[in-house]
Amino acid sequence: MQLAELLDQTGLDVLDHLEREMTVPVIDGLQAQGDLIVIPFDLLGTVETSSYWQPVPPEGVELVRGIADNNPHTLVADREMCSWTTGVRDRTGLAVAVFDNRTPAYLIHPEHGGTGVAPGRWLVRRQQERGAGFRPRPVLIAD
Amino acid sequence: MTARRRRSAGSSITSRDPFEQWSQAVQIRREWLGHALSTEPADRPATEQAITTLYSLVHRPPPEFVWVDSPAAALPLVEASPSMRLGSPLSTESELANHWSGLRSRLRRHARIPQWSLMLDALALLRRGGPIRDVLTAGVRDVLNRTVRESIAGPVMAAMQERRALLWFGQHDVDWLANCDVLQRVDGVLWSAEDAEQLALWSTLARSCGWWWPREGRCVVAERPLAIRTEPVPGSQYDELRLHSDDSPAVVYADGWAVHMMHGFRVPAWVIGDPTAERIAAERNIEVRRCAIERLGWPAFIEQARLMLVSQADDPGNPEAVLQLYDLPYDTWGAPTRLLVAINGSVERDGTRRQYGLRVPPWFTDPIDAAAWTYGLTGPQYAQLQRRT
Repeated sequence: MQLAELLDQTGLDVLDHLEREMTVPVIDGLQAQGDLIVIPFDLLGTVETSSYWQPVPPEGVELVRGIADNNPHTLVADREMCSWTTGVRDRTGLAVAVFDNRTPAYLIHPEHGGTGVAPGRWLVRRQQERGAGFRPRPVLIAD
Repeated sequence: MTARRRRSAGSSITSRDPFEQWSQAVQIRREWLGHALSTEPADRPATEQAITTLYSLVHRPPPEFVWVDSPAAALPLVEASPSMRLGSPLSTESELANHWSGLRSRLRRHARIPQWSLMLDALALLRRGGPIRDVLTAGVRDVLNRTVRESIAGPVMAAMQERRALLWFGQHDVDWLANCDVLQRVDGVLWSAEDAEQLALWSTLARSCGWWWPREGRCVVAERPLAIRTEPVPGSQYDELRLHSDDSPAVVYADGWAVHMMHGFRVPAWVIGDPTAERIAAERNIEVRRCAIERLGWPAFIEQARLMLVSQADDPGNPEAVLQLYDLPYDTWGAPTRLLVAINGSVERDGTRRQYGLRVPPWFTDPIDAAAWTYGLTGPQYAQLQRRT
């Protein structure tokens, strides 16, 4: 699917310098969008999910928002083809959500454009960096 | 008190639906926030009249007014208040303070609201059907207290060489005044005629001027700033702001006195004006260093700081880009840290790809392992990354 088409369907938008007449690749594997990473669920054995799943609507759900509450990463999918949960137990503390899709789903972000996710079950994590100071606990990165 | 005066001291409530009341309160809060952020020249006649009336309430004649361009300019003109001694007569400003705190506690008692911050989430309480006065106070007084008194007036005060008590904050005193306004207009609270008149004096000052120092026979008043630059506080549902400007002072007054802030942190002027790796290395405050690097930019910082490259590798999923791992000098940075320098997957408006640095634990020697750690993965897992945007 072309990015322009995807944007029309969802009502979302990206920054105007990004190429819209391009096909958004659908990746079947580990991929990253800015400070967010999409991990095949089976790659990890240590993550558990709750049983509280919700459908992802065509206009999408916001996974993470940026530093000034703008620039969210939005997950969009065909109607009734994808469900997601934020009830994730992940020892790293980086988990955002897990989603399960039967047709390609897409992650859209104003600065990073769009990227496709092949059918499967995926864990979404945020990025961390080492905190400052003498007891450096990791801090989450805000895009 | 006649019935007619009582009616004029309050207004009829237009709605008792709590959600309606909340949205009316939010409108009023925004009006008052506008006064707190006002950079208009002070309304000198209104200010002088209100303060003169306050002086008369404590039986003092009208003071001589001295207007200055900034709070810092007021300091040399204001004596510190004499300490209070039992039996000796109170100074003008102490009597004013008694009047002011007496007024505030009467208003609080009458409206049945607590003195200290409620420390709760107004919207959550509203949705749970909690007491509307608590919802309004948390959503108006406490929100404005955080944004105006703590986040704006606080750093400006800290930037002054010293604090000359007693003083009041004019436009930055909006928190309790907005709250009284909301309680009256939205929840039908009626003040006594006398209290309403005094409240009106303090409200006029919040709409008219900057900080002010009342003394015996003389009152020094500061003008409002020429500019106040803020950014929204991430995650706030109540229009909360913090001071921020990454290319100019966050608060600047007509005489040039300025306060520099980035993301709510006070920084020295050089961070905005002329950050260099040398100054960054010499700076002990970690937040100041971080702001300075953000301002200088990672590429310039790495070049100027002449950091030691530990290793380099191709960035998985990011064609033509490399990951680099640098050593950061221990004594400047606290606990040992290394720096992972990466390049964005997507382009900026000018077609370039932004370079940025992430602090990583020092035990990594392979940048792939370090990059993997930032996502909670192992190096071999991260090496499978197919695409990065």
